[in-house]
Amino acid sequence: MDWQGVLELRALLAEAAPVMLRGAGYTVIFALASMLGGLLIGFPVAVLRILPYRLLRWPATVYVSLMRGTPLLVQMFVIYYGLPSVGIEFTPVTAGILALSLNAGAFLSESLRGAIGAVSKGQWSASYSLGLGYWTTLRHVVLPQALRIAVPAMSNTLISLIKDTSLVSVITMTELMLSTKEVIATTFRPLPLYLAAALIYWALSLLFEALQRRAEQRLNRAHR
Amino acid sequence: MQTPELSIVSAIKAGRRPALRTLGAALLVAAGLAAGWAPAASAADLLATVKARGTLKVALEGTYPPFNYKDQKTGQLAGYDVDVARLLAARLGLKVEFVSSEWASILAGLSANKYDVIISQVGINPKREQAFDFSTPYIYSMPQLIVRKDEKAVYASLADLKGKKLGVGQGSVYEQQAKAVPGIDVRSYAAAPDTMSDLASGRLDAALNDSLMSAYLLKISKLPIKAGAQVGAVERMGIPFHKGNPEFKAALNKALADVAADGSLKAISIKWFGTDVSKAP
Repeated sequence: MDWQGVLELRALLAEAAPVMLRGAGYTVIFALASMLGGLLIGFPVAVLRILPYRLLRWPATVYVSLMRGTPLLVQMFVIYYGLPSVGIEFTPVTAGILALSLNAGAFLSESLRGAIGAVSKGQWSASYSLGLGYWTTLRHVVLPQALRIAVPAMSNTLISLIKDTSLVSVITMTELMLSTKEVIATTFRPLPLYLAAALIYWALSLLFEALQRRAEQRLNRAHR
Repeated sequence: MQTPELSIVSAIKAGRRPALRTLGAALLVAAGLAAGWAPAASAADLLATVKARGTLKVALEGTYPPFNYKDQKTGQLAGYDVDVARLLAARLGLKVEFVSSEWASILAGLSANKYDVIISQVGINPKREQAFDFSTPYIYSMPQLIVRKDEKAVYASLADLKGKKLGVGQGSVYEQQAKAVPGIDVRSYAAAPDTMSDLASGRLDAALNDSLMSAYLLKISKLPIKAGAQVGAVERMGIPFHKGNPEFKAALNKALADVAADGSLKAISIKWFGTDVSKAP
């Protein structure tokens, strides 16, 4: 690229920066809030699904199947545009966070359920033989070990979540992707602007990867 | 146009697993709710509602220059639709509150009462008139072809494009018009800039868009493309709102007639397009 092109590109990005960074702000808010929401949903659902009571397992199973088996776009659409017809009305922010949390919660619960299953049966037996009950064993013996196994898979879901936030643009939220499209609509320079958006998403993911590494180190203390 | 409702139902059908038939059925019902079978929520006329609120909630796309887009310099919405919205609201004694929505869900949002009106180049056609009431048209335009600068072939009508690749906007009336002509290889694009870059690089033989949009596209983009023939019938754009609001409809149409009569609508049109497009050609 010649010098002229570089200058022009710099001007384009400088012009786009305020709008795109504001969009990125929304992306971060949606991502963080739904990560928290997803984890808050994912843990109890994973536990419900391993309980020895069918009646409790069943709703959790249906929930996970429904959330994994339908497109996130449809879930968002139904929550924001569909529910008002039965009298339930959310603001775009609430609807977006709710849809993302419900969706991520299902995937997170499966990662966690797999990890709980991966903790050997011997751990349960040993704990019972020491006189600990079911809940104490789950909370203090099995879950801490399961969490260590689950972190890489759960991080997959959480990092995907950062990018899934782009779907909230269908419910009138101008997050990073829609704000990029707004700039493209007036400048007609899709490639550099999409690349800039990709870099921002990547930077956000890198921050999260650093967090994942710290979590892994901490949970691995006993295994070094 | 492929309505968002339809695409959602088909998306569900595609994603449905055979073992979960009841679940799928439940979802279809849920999607049906989303699709706007919902009755209008309020019994009072929309005019009373907006007067009481003091603001008119106007939805627009925000990515469709020169009609409605975000001005990079100021960060504010600008364009013909934005000016028209401000003008009409002032006439009605209301403040404007803009809501940006993607085109794919903009009509669904009106069904779900997320805003009062859409002022975003919504073409008036019988199918849409079944779902919503429209104001009198506030802008007229023609479908126009865009071709490469070095194009030798002359396309005078859509029929000349048989066997050729034609780019159109997803869910646009132009998409419907192109698909109605057999033999054209219609390619649907999410955004106009993508269409133009594919046209310039030779992946498309022509693109079809609003004649007013085309003029802007050609001015802004530095691609080697030029305007082609205007094809098809005149498009009328109106302002849709919920059915069953006769007072609001009368007030809105009166405001439109007033601004047309005193020349302020014409002034906006001249500002953005250089000609008066608010009257039928």
